[in-house]
Amino acid sequence: MTLFRRLLLVEWSGLAVAILLGALALSVIAPNFLTEFNLYVMLRSLSVGLLVAFAQMVTLGVGQMNIAVGALGGLTAIIFGATIELYGFPLLLAIPLALAIGALGGLINGLLTARTGVNAFIITLATASAFTGINFGITGSIPFYKMPASLVAFGDHHLGAMPYLLVAPLIVAFLLGLFFSRAAPGRELLAFGGNPQAAELSGISRERVVVSAHVLSGLLAAAAAVLAVAQLGSAQPTIGADWLLLSFAAPIIGGAALTGGHISVLGTLFAVLLLGLIQNGMVLAKVDPYWVQFVLGALILAAVGLNRWRAVNSGVA
Amino acid sequence: MTDEAMSEMSARRRFGLGGVPAQFGLAIIIAAFWAVFAWRAPGFLSPFNLFSVGRALAVDIVIGFAQMAALATGGMNLSVGSIGVCAVMTGGYLMQTLALPVPVAIFGALGLGAALGWLNGFVIARSGVSAFIITLASANLYSGAMLILTKAVPLNSLPMEVGAFGKMKIAGLVSPLLVIALAVGLVLFVFYRHSVLGRQILAAGANARAAKMSGVPVDRVITISHALSGLLAATAGMMVVAHLGAAMPAVGGEDWLLPSFLGPVLGGTPLSGGAVAVAGTMLGALLVTTIRSGLLVLQIGNYWLQLYLGVILLLAVLVDRYRALYQERRGIPMR
Repeated sequence: MTLFRRLLLVEWSGLAVAILLGALALSVIAPNFLTEFNLYVMLRSLSVGLLVAFAQMVTLGVGQMNIAVGALGGLTAIIFGATIELYGFPLLLAIPLALAIGALGGLINGLLTARTGVNAFIITLATASAFTGINFGITGSIPFYKMPASLVAFGDHHLGAMPYLLVAPLIVAFLLGLFFSRAAPGRELLAFGGNPQAAELSGISRERVVVSAHVLSGLLAAAAAVLAVAQLGSAQPTIGADWLLLSFAAPIIGGAALTGGHISVLGTLFAVLLLGLIQNGMVLAKVDPYWVQFVLGALILAAVGLNRWRAVNSGVA
Repeated sequence: MTDEAMSEMSARRRFGLGGVPAQFGLAIIIAAFWAVFAWRAPGFLSPFNLFSVGRALAVDIVIGFAQMAALATGGMNLSVGSIGVCAVMTGGYLMQTLALPVPVAIFGALGLGAALGWLNGFVIARSGVSAFIITLASANLYSGAMLILTKAVPLNSLPMEVGAFGKMKIAGLVSPLLVIALAVGLVLFVFYRHSVLGRQILAAGANARAAKMSGVPVDRVITISHALSGLLAATAGMMVVAHLGAAMPAVGGEDWLLPSFLGPVLGGTPLSGGAVAVAGTMLGALLVTTIRSGLLVLQIGNYWLQLYLGVILLLAVLVDRYRALYQERRGIPMR
């Protein structure tokens, strides 16, 4: 196999090329692209998206899905905001509490899915509706505005083009990479996703795997929610409402198999970067914002097609 | 095995398509809700409210059918709302901007819906990728294209007779839209029960490999099911146009996602495919419409609505699960 062919079969090779070419094209077409401020704005907008994508990636890894990623994020965001504004919790208490809420939501999803054996799609569709209902019922769709200055500053500050906000998802990406490649529980998740029967016969507990994937997914959704509050400077009930598409698009474009068992942290990271680049490019080129949705849909189809092509090719080789 | 268990199993098999026990429980729950709402909110049984419940029910039923058609093959259609809004705007464009006769415009909108659904089915059957991901992508393609083409501008000077049809009352109480929804249900019932194509769809949904070996053209059947799903989504869209008397780009979309699953799943349509519950889907839709309308009349507000709908969907799934387990245990002879 030639080096070129081998590179072609690495999941994120196409993405890396697309990102490089896209960035090159943008820097030629739009002089504003390479300014420190524009790069900062783009990277900052990626931070939440990365965690959202990881939240879905984890459930895709065990061959399931989590429709409630956005709903859980929204609920966590407003509970986070409420504990700060109404009860005066310090951040050191409010953030762990928010993460715990996310994990709890994931635990509910996981237990319901594992215990009943019902399709995770329908379970999380139902819990998503319930979480959204609680969110809007509590807030009456009124945001919490009084966020601590330190949190807002964390959302705003940057070192050169590098926003502080991006640090959190990068650390998470590193930990997830270690978890899925080196840690026994992470390997068990993927083994189960690849072949549930074989995994169960090898002594992996179905319930533990499914529940831990959903808890991890909820935890990551909550982390995304906290970052979103920091980024916006207020706890909006609408946080998470538009996460669903991105959450699936990024891991799938990054090479995750929908059938489970195979995910790519680096691929997902590059996919989010590519999507951010495209959005940024469309803003700089003053393209109608309505195109964003269309392009995202088209990209998923293209990625699915590419993944199939790669699977067929590598199967032959 | 006792005779009792035998007769119970054969009864279950006989009514397997509809899942009669599930629907009986559902009917009792609906009746309970009606009793509570009628008792707590005097306006609930007023002719005006009954008319508006019936009109909303018509749309919910057809949205449920649109999802049911996709579930029958063991797939799903996340683009029900997107196809619906594409049909809405196409119908509005044909009627208002091109000033075509209303029946021609409706025909065009329904045709578009069927074509978009067919496209879903074609890609799913050809690529072998799950219906979930294909329709998630196409939902955004369709909605995105609609927004690009319409610039999200509503069309609100449609021919008068469109809005008038939506306001029409048969016997002062029943919306003709509800009659249409019931007629669609009857057609679907006969289609899945008695037509060769309908039986082939259910066979392909139950076990694609076995169906293929028995000579069912599985790919074609899946494509047709998705075209049917698109056609039904477009029908629901045209009903909304009649209801609003205008073509709004905010109709459908993700707002239809949950109701589209609630109707069929509450009614006993399995997600794994192979069976449909036409009457059950209507009852499921009735429960959704009842709760939505009742909360509105009680002025509890729309904010908590989603919580109730989510919890009800969960309960329905759990009850169904435990009923299946219970029957399984009853069916196994004691040693």
